[in-house]
Amino acid sequence: MTNKAAKAVSMLLSIIILIAVLSACGSNNNGNGGNATNAPKETEGTTNAGGEKAGIDTSKKVELQFYMLGDAPKDIASIQEQVNKMALEDLNATVKFNYTSWTDWDQKYKLLLGSGQQVDLIFTAEWTQYQSYAKKGAFQALDELLPAAAPTLNSFVPKEMWDAVKIDDKIYTVPATYKEYVTDGFVWREDLRAKYNLPTPVDIATFEQYLEGIKKNEPTITPLSMNSDVKTNLMDRFKGIAHAPIGALPYGIGINYKTPGEVYSYWGSDEQKEDLNVLKRWQDNGYMVKNVLAVKDTLQDQITSGKAAAILGDNPTRYNDMVIKIQSTHPDWKLGYTPYPETNGIATPVHPIHNGFAIPASSKNAERALAFYEKLVTDKRYNMLTQYGVEGKNYEVKDGYYSMIGDSNSNGFPREGMNGWAWRNPEYMLFDKNYDGVKAIFEKLDKIQVPDKFTGFAEDYTPYQAERAALEQVEKQYLFPLNAGLVKNVDEGLNTFMEKAKQAGLEKIQAEYTKQWNDYVTEQGIK
Amino acid sequence: MKIKEDNYMKWFRLIAFVVILLATVACLFPFLLIISASFTQNEAIIKDGYHLIPTVFSFEGYATVFRFPKQVLTAYGVTTLTTVIGTTLGLFLMTMAGYVLQRKDFKYRNFFSFMIYFTTLFGGGLVPWYILITKYLKLTDKLEVLILPGLMTPFLIILMKNFIRSAVPDEVIESAKIDGANDFTIYSRIVLQLSMPGIATVGLFLALHYWNDWFTSSLFINDTTKYQLQYYLYNVINAMSFIAQMGSGTGVSLGSDMPTESTKMAMSIIVTGPILFLYPFVQRYFVKGLTIGAVKG
Amino acid sequence: MLKKNGVLKELVTNRILFLMLLPALIFFLINSYVPMVGVYYAFTQFDFNTSLFNSKFVGLDNFKFLWQSGVLAKLTLNTVGYNVVFILFGNVLAIALAILLSELRTQWFKKLTQSIMFLPYFVSFVILSVIVYNVFNYESGFLNSTLKSFGYEPLDVYNTPWVWIFLIIIFYLWKNIGYSMVIYLASITGISDEYYEAAKIDGANIFQRIWYITVPMLKTTFVMLLLFALGSIMKGQFDLFYQLIGNNGVLYNTTDILDTYVYRSLKVTFDIGMSTAAGLYQSLFGFVLIMTVNYIIKKINDEYALF
Repeated sequence: MTNKAAKAVSMLLSIIILIAVLSACGSNNNGNGGNATNAPKETEGTTNAGGEKAGIDTSKKVELQFYMLGDAPKDIASIQEQVNKMALEDLNATVKFNYTSWTDWDQKYKLLLGSGQQVDLIFTAEWTQYQSYAKKGAFQALDELLPAAAPTLNSFVPKEMWDAVKIDDKIYTVPATYKEYVTDGFVWREDLRAKYNLPTPVDIATFEQYLEGIKKNEPTITPLSMNSDVKTNLMDRFKGIAHAPIGALPYGIGINYKTPGEVYSYWGSDEQKEDLNVLKRWQDNGYMVKNVLAVKDTLQDQITSGKAAAILGDNPTRYNDMVIKIQSTHPDWKLGYTPYPETNGIATPVHPIHNGFAIPASSKNAERALAFYEKLVTDKRYNMLTQYGVEGKNYEVKDGYYSMIGDSNSNGFPREGMNGWAWRNPEYMLFDKNYDGVKAIFEKLDKIQVPDKFTGFAEDYTPYQAERAALEQVEKQYLFPLNAGLVKNVDEGLNTFMEKAKQAGLEKIQAEYTKQWNDYVTEQGIK
Repeated sequence: MKIKEDNYMKWFRLIAFVVILLATVACLFPFLLIISASFTQNEAIIKDGYHLIPTVFSFEGYATVFRFPKQVLTAYGVTTLTTVIGTTLGLFLMTMAGYVLQRKDFKYRNFFSFMIYFTTLFGGGLVPWYILITKYLKLTDKLEVLILPGLMTPFLIILMKNFIRSAVPDEVIESAKIDGANDFTIYSRIVLQLSMPGIATVGLFLALHYWNDWFTSSLFINDTTKYQLQYYLYNVINAMSFIAQMGSGTGVSLGSDMPTESTKMAMSIIVTGPILFLYPFVQRYFVKGLTIGAVKG
Repeated sequence: MLKKNGVLKELVTNRILFLMLLPALIFFLINSYVPMVGVYYAFTQFDFNTSLFNSKFVGLDNFKFLWQSGVLAKLTLNTVGYNVVFILFGNVLAIALAILLSELRTQWFKKLTQSIMFLPYFVSFVILSVIVYNVFNYESGFLNSTLKSFGYEPLDVYNTPWVWIFLIIIFYLWKNIGYSMVIYLASITGISDEYYEAAKIDGANIFQRIWYITVPMLKTTFVMLLLFALGSIMKGQFDLFYQLIGNNGVLYNTTDILDTYVYRSLKVTFDIGMSTAAGLYQSLFGFVLIMTVNYIIKKINDEYALF
């Protein structure tokens, strides 16, 4: 390196080190300060147990930062104002509702939690990685706070739900109490089925016959609606109906619902070989498009536009959406639905983790935040306002049904416009008339409901983090084409995949995961 | 000799014409598909794919984008404002920097050039930068955050430096100095005029960067009236895709009925439009700079 | 002591120059150098409750996932390989087109074609991928429909890895050609007419004029673009690959680059440590490469080097 460049680099390094030292001093103070504020709150809670608002200190006015995913409704400003009027009176606090929008939301979620920014309340769900974040300490534990700051909420949510959201034996989020099902089911064009007298899909065999029938009789329609996410939309759904897994398990682990204590490796098993051969048959027979791994259309769009005729598995709410959509665009079409539970008898309602609200570690107003959240859920004024808007302006109640005023362009607050899925209160909920179809399905499922034994498990992947990332790569490169039926020789292809997977560390991951799972099962006494 | 020359020129011009024409058509073709798709009904796109002429004509893509005209106009306004301010300010600062860095008599130019260039090689990543802007500079939800971080890039500064170096010979600067002008006057009176093509280029790129920016809004702006245009449009599309995917748990039966594909195409056209108007305007600066008659004598 | 005097003296004599440069320096100091501290994340175990410098130091653990899957060499090869091709082809093509365009005389044609060639820059890769799918898909793509109508067998482009090497390059060129061309055009405009006049008088024909005047004058610009591109050789182009290839594992062997690999690995893991580690690898690679190349270039001609 030339003299000049060497000088340059050394100058830079010294600048960097200087900055590092300075920020270290600054951060040390912040870090310690952050940890310190958590302690007093907990002691405050225990000493002032019982009593409504007497339990928390409302002497200082605070502004709570509330974060939700998606977009805010147009009328958010006026709703926020009205909420704040009440909150100021009740809790000497105001709230600012913030929305991350759907663009890059997971990136923002990560930044909100990881940067130490002041956030008081944030949405959680299993699909926002609640379990992982909770395990890593992103949220504050609510066990002590609940009886002190939100006793009504504490008793409103049933004990099983509190237990279900515990990670490492502590409550980190407030679950929503509305029970719904997101189990999968076959979806198909019923009008075509009747036209060609095809069997009704209730299991893989009949579904395959249906696909064959479409292929023969309607050459321009692709029988199976499928896109590049062959893992979730094809493999997991297939397994869901062909076998009876306890949940969508990662890393090729196999556990049957009825035998949670027995863990085997689905990957590399004969079971998998059989399944892959079926899928290969589907591909060879032309039930899915050859370039399925490059398709980006949603499964639903393909049905509603008439491009495809059936979906392997979808949930009742989305099925209902499709039905409503084609009612206006193609009234002569009909859709049919068979929920998987009707065939395999396992109907698990949504896990309490599915919609919840947590208090991030960085919040300095945990008590007030929790008390405010209690209001949102249990106080009818707050709840109706934030779920449906202003009665008479945004909605009306007709025959007990929710009815929107105006249309989606003029209305400033559609139903659940604030994305308030987490603070729904079944006692106050209003439904759109269209939703009756879904409710009917839910009622059928209620009759066969069984508890969800899987979602409550929080895996700690720090011991195998590197292997996990490497495995992801191998899966996409070698397993996806197998799933899509594109590999000519299934046996060979599977062997190659297993080899590469083992190289990436599959055995270590499976061993560690199994150990954690078994611990979880014994602890929770899951049978 | 002159005749031979003419023949070569003619052939050359012909070849040039043909090649440029082919390149243009290649660039244009996909764009035509997009325009056609933006006027096609969404269902037809999913079912039949893209064609040069819409199979089923429809305005639904554009209608969805302009669903809330007031918001679109506000976003347009924000982006225009940030682009104009950012480009002018950025150009001013960068031309100064470029000028200084190319002055052979400025002893530390290599050191500073390296220092600026180094930032393109190493970075702390997104999180530290995010913390800097939100926690220490407290720029969340302020218009400044849309302008400041994008003011300068090492690439443009060094590009500027090169343009100035080739457009302004040292002798001009020497003679101006002899005439008693200080560095800043030299800069503003002489350098700026001589480097017009370079300034136009850098200005164009800078303006494009501001115009296309959505990332800064995404990270730092919560106030919907301060959204940049691209971000607003991305949101429209992502909201549609997301609701389509996440039907479960939302119970939203209405509003999930948006023509995603047509809208994506319409959005492309809407965003590109204004730039197409800007570009010819900038083009006229791509002319030979004023001759450096001052030195010849 | 002597050095200090030298620095101060320099600053005072050229104080106006220094002042003119100052805003840029402050900008980079705050916007780029301060956050650089975050590089330390690459060596720590991220924890929500502790600050960066209190986090547990884990040495090179975060880098493990890069070589665990055994594909690091291939990824590096792909990334570097594609970038080298992009740089060479891209610049040569841009220079050629810029020269051709500058010699045309019809003003309106010049302006129109220039604008049109700039258009692809605005087409996001998201949209491009959709169009590409439309053209190349097996069942109903434009390509195969045409082939079928002429009686030929359809081609399964999406499942043929080697084809994509060319396709990716073509798409990259298509998108970026307008951008690079503008830079070269601006440089060409800056070349004084007198050189060409003198050459014409000496009897040089058009090809000679281009080869001996235009091309050498563009060398500085070319080298500058080259050096910048080399610095980012391990990164960038994420959009291109992610949108066009996406989940199509069949094509990974020939088309996966470091960025897409890192993105997929870390999509569900939100580990800041690992993503910073990956970024650091890319940076180091580019840094070593640049220092070497700049050194070589400086030996050849001092003016061309970046610093």
